[in-house]
Amino acid sequence: MTGRYVGRRLLQVLPTVAGIVLVGFLLIHLAPGGPIIALAGDSGDEEYYAFMTAKFGLDRPLPEQLATYAGNVLRGDLGVSYIQGRPAIDVIAERLPATLLLAGTALVGSSVAGVALGAWAAARAHSIRDLAVTSAALVLYAAPVFWLGQLALLTLALRTGLFPVQGMTTAGGPETGLAWALDVARHLALPALVLASQEVAAVARLTRAGVLEELAADHVRTALAKGLSDRRVLVRHALRRALLPVVTVIGSRPGHLLAGTIVVEVVFGWPGLSRLLLTSVQTRDTPILLGIFLLVAATVVLANLVTDLVYGWLDPRIRYR
Amino acid sequence: MGRGWAGWLMLLAVLLAACTGSEPGTTESPTATRAPSPDATATATDTATTAAPTGEETPSPTQTAAGGGTLVVAISSDPGGLNPAITTSGGTHTASELLYNGLVDLGPDLEPIPELAESWDVEEEGALYRFHLRDDVTWHDGEPFTSADVKYSFEEVLLQLHSRTQASVGPSLESIETPDEQTVEFRFSQPYAPLLQQLNVTEAPIIPRHIYEGTDPLENPANNEPVGTGPFRFVSYTPDAEIVLERNPDYFEEGLPHLDEVIMRVIPDEGSQVLAFEAGEVGWLWGVPGPDQERLAADPTVEFLQTPVNPGGANCIMTVSFNLERPIMADLRVRQAIAHALNRDQFLERVLFGQGQVAAAPISSGIPWAHAEGLDMPANDPAEAERLLDEAGWQREGDGTRTAAGVEGVDDGTPLAFTFVHFPTFSAYGELLRAQLREVGMDVTLVPLEPPVFAEQVFTARDFDTNIISYCNATDPEIGVRRMYHSSNIGEVPFSNAAAYRNDEVDRLFDEAQRTIDLEQRGALYRQIQEIAVAELPYFWIVETVGTRAYRSSCSDFQPSGHFAKTASCEQ
Amino acid sequence: MAGSTPASAIADATDVAPVGRVGALGRAPRRRLLRRILQTPAGAAGVSLTLLVIVVGLLADLLAPTDPLVPAGPPLAPPSPAHLMGTDALGRDLLSGVVYGARTSLVVVFATGALVLLIGVTVGTVSGYRGGRVDDALMRVTEFFQVLPRFFLAIMAIALFGPGLDLLVLVLGLTSWATLARVVRAEVLSLSQREFVEAARASGASDTRIVVLEILPNALPAAVVYLGLLLAQVLLLEASLGFLGLGDPNLVSWGYLAGQAQRFLRVAWWLSFFPGVAIAFAVLGLNLLGDALTDVLGGRR
Repeated sequence: MTGRYVGRRLLQVLPTVAGIVLVGFLLIHLAPGGPIIALAGDSGDEEYYAFMTAKFGLDRPLPEQLATYAGNVLRGDLGVSYIQGRPAIDVIAERLPATLLLAGTALVGSSVAGVALGAWAAARAHSIRDLAVTSAALVLYAAPVFWLGQLALLTLALRTGLFPVQGMTTAGGPETGLAWALDVARHLALPALVLASQEVAAVARLTRAGVLEELAADHVRTALAKGLSDRRVLVRHALRRALLPVVTVIGSRPGHLLAGTIVVEVVFGWPGLSRLLLTSVQTRDTPILLGIFLLVAATVVLANLVTDLVYGWLDPRIRYR
Repeated sequence: MGRGWAGWLMLLAVLLAACTGSEPGTTESPTATRAPSPDATATATDTATTAAPTGEETPSPTQTAAGGGTLVVAISSDPGGLNPAITTSGGTHTASELLYNGLVDLGPDLEPIPELAESWDVEEEGALYRFHLRDDVTWHDGEPFTSADVKYSFEEVLLQLHSRTQASVGPSLESIETPDEQTVEFRFSQPYAPLLQQLNVTEAPIIPRHIYEGTDPLENPANNEPVGTGPFRFVSYTPDAEIVLERNPDYFEEGLPHLDEVIMRVIPDEGSQVLAFEAGEVGWLWGVPGPDQERLAADPTVEFLQTPVNPGGANCIMTVSFNLERPIMADLRVRQAIAHALNRDQFLERVLFGQGQVAAAPISSGIPWAHAEGLDMPANDPAEAERLLDEAGWQREGDGTRTAAGVEGVDDGTPLAFTFVHFPTFSAYGELLRAQLREVGMDVTLVPLEPPVFAEQVFTARDFDTNIISYCNATDPEIGVRRMYHSSNIGEVPFSNAAAYRNDEVDRLFDEAQRTIDLEQRGALYRQIQEIAVAELPYFWIVETVGTRAYRSSCSDFQPSGHFAKTASCEQ
Repeated sequence: MAGSTPASAIADATDVAPVGRVGALGRAPRRRLLRRILQTPAGAAGVSLTLLVIVVGLLADLLAPTDPLVPAGPPLAPPSPAHLMGTDALGRDLLSGVVYGARTSLVVVFATGALVLLIGVTVGTVSGYRGGRVDDALMRVTEFFQVLPRFFLAIMAIALFGPGLDLLVLVLGLTSWATLARVVRAEVLSLSQREFVEAARASGASDTRIVVLEILPNALPAAVVYLGLLLAQVLLLEASLGFLGLGDPNLVSWGYLAGQAQRFLRVAWWLSFFPGVAIAFAVLGLNLLGDALTDVLGGRR
């Protein structure tokens, strides 16, 4: 892996993200309906429409609007939300922490738990416990995440009252300090668990298969023959190599994970980006929509890049052009 | 080799610790006290209170109402901002009306009662309105409220940005004069009857000139840190999470409000709102989903308040519009057949779970002086529907969809198939309508569209056969009914005359009603309009919807309006 | 399944470059394919579940007790002999809804699959066979489509233009072909250097002839294996969109049914439970089938 390779990959990031945002821009502007109608609610006359249309620059030709938008984005300005009248970047930034907390917890938790569970199952391959883990992973991987959420709500929150039903904090509850953190953690547990479950399943299955394959490989047999302990062999030799495809999977998840986050946020009323996304689609709040789109595109593209780089670092056999 | 298992367990342990550890610290009572009031009579939490249910009548204000307490209110969407003057968005109005006032408020029978204006004179047969403002009102930041605030709010904000006020008051308003700090005069080019119905906090909230003047009202930071004159003042706003308001100690209405604090909590899903209510996380619901009503009603600590008034609009009727420009729908017999085929009781029962009533006239019963009694509305009669369709030339073979045979403007063999356009939130109406019309041989295709697309497809492109709209009649037919029938309202303005209905006589009657000040005379004119509408069926009126508020019996004295918590109090 | 990576677990991985995917399948006799799949418990389960969904979808008219769109009983009735899965708020029979939902899923999955195959195989074949600048250009485009945020695009497109099965299939198809194209390209690339292709070329056969007769038949199995796993993801995506209320309103779909259930979670658990089971079964079936195919066809990781 050379510096030149990294540089070349980095150079590709910008046009890719720009392309994705362009797709979103065209989609929004070619679609019927517009933000003014949403603003007007159930009335408003032609004068109002002309006034608001000019105000947002929506009467300009599409290429001009695009050029203006691109110029502004390069200066770090995502525009002003039509509906809220505040900079889109502020509006998005307010929601981002909640989504990052949920998605991040799920990503980290599922990666750790998935690798651990997969290795654990591989070490006792074909036992009853392995079978249990493998089957559970298979089913979890097939179950739609909104359904898991509904089931979790029904069983863990509604029936037993173990977990709060909705939101990220208790209304009127503590607003700072440890008490607040615990309140958030308590609300976070269920949505994060549901969101993570599918990722755990994917990662665990892959890790188990990878470790099994590596355990059968020559250098591991050699290591075992040299008298190294089982655990050392598993961790040092098998797991490290088996992690290669796992890294690919984890690195490819952010797009998938964000999609899952949207649905989970809806089920659990989590105050993150998804609610902003869905209402902004309804109200045609273009600056917000494109801002979220930009964020998602950048996340996915960068995660891809990082995955490739980590992959190269884990497996020195791979030579990049 | 147990490392994986151990890691998993640790994760679980952390999560479990997080939830059990926090339990002692977070009680879930919505009436958690900040400043216990000395005259609180009970210290029991709301769940322990066992007051008997009092049914659904509006509680009358009582002298014994204890002060204080915190009310947690569930709202279904982030308001996006807290300035009700720049938008008609129901979300914004729900969250912000407690912070502001209108010139007048509306009483239980929609009669104007003093608010910021303590009295008014109507002169020149209704072409001049003179309001005398209170002299003891201050903004939350301490500045005095004056007539300049009213003039600014109307001219620079409401008549530009509040789409309903802009459309109704705007066209005939000539000028707003402020002879002195406590007087405002509205002058119209011709007598304008409904003005007093359009000046409450929903239709015309007054915002502070000293904060907004010289700025773009849409982007003024005060939209998120509002300064009003209302019974509560702003504390904090966390987008998509909660809005905290506290009692305005300087409020101009003596002794009000009682509550120390109102917290609005964003919970988008209505089912989840109920769950939060039952868990005690929330103490006030704007709406109760039908299926949950029965369960809540069985709980003796839950009270209901039913009202046709919503912050987004009042006296709404779910109305099917027929596109009269389409050959199929141009035939009165087809429209009558649809009306006869629809079982409106089933809509009330299965879509609204009994909340509301079947519409008995084109104008809502919530405007009693304009609502016509005893009209000959088409009854549910599938056989009559089939007869009308046969007569109109729509032939039926077997149980399938009817086809045209000699229908004017339609090729023979064309199936009786048409679109039904609706907001996604109204899909249950569409699904039931599709099922009922299928029984008489009509094939309905549902087209759910988000509001902006709906508006464009229906009012700009006019690409629809039938649709459903929640037409809110508001507090005067002039505001919410005229737009549906007057031929001058055919056009691109959303939620106007969707049917493209033209009838010179109806136009004339509306114009006359607008100039008539006497309510009884106006009522007679609206009756004539409704008789014509029922005979010609440009629309079919399905159900009048009501909002069902729910709260704990530890709280009392709520109002149906946007100032719902102004007079309320909760036991500590 | 031991010893090989569950292909379903990586079906959704967007970057295929460093890892060989479902690789050369070898030219093992395919006649005994089905028997070999059925020999493993997982394969047998996969085949049965997938077949079950297909049969239910095809015979929906015969199997469903009532018209799924028309009220057939009291509203919100719990499961009973009269309504095995209960009824919804309008009184419609949920079993009928689930049965017809299978048909909707079938249509979406097959139509999307066809679209993905068409674009993916075309791009992959041209890219792999032509090589050079054409390959470079096509692969740039492919890489772009691989990172398109599929779910976000679908939400926006459908919410902006209004829901419909055609738009749904179009969006899912257009955003799902990229990885398949790379799988096919890799196959074609390796195949075009094989002796039998060289031989055909030497005998003066045209490029079209070589591609259609020699290369494609051998490259397709890899595509089909991958497709099965991809379609499992498509099914889940379609369900998620339906859950958010973005499905076709004139057809019953499992996601739509589950989305309706959210409102009634507290009063009618069955509305959420049964559609979810149906989705999980169908996705599980496709995943198991994909894994089994990979194993049997000798897929390497």
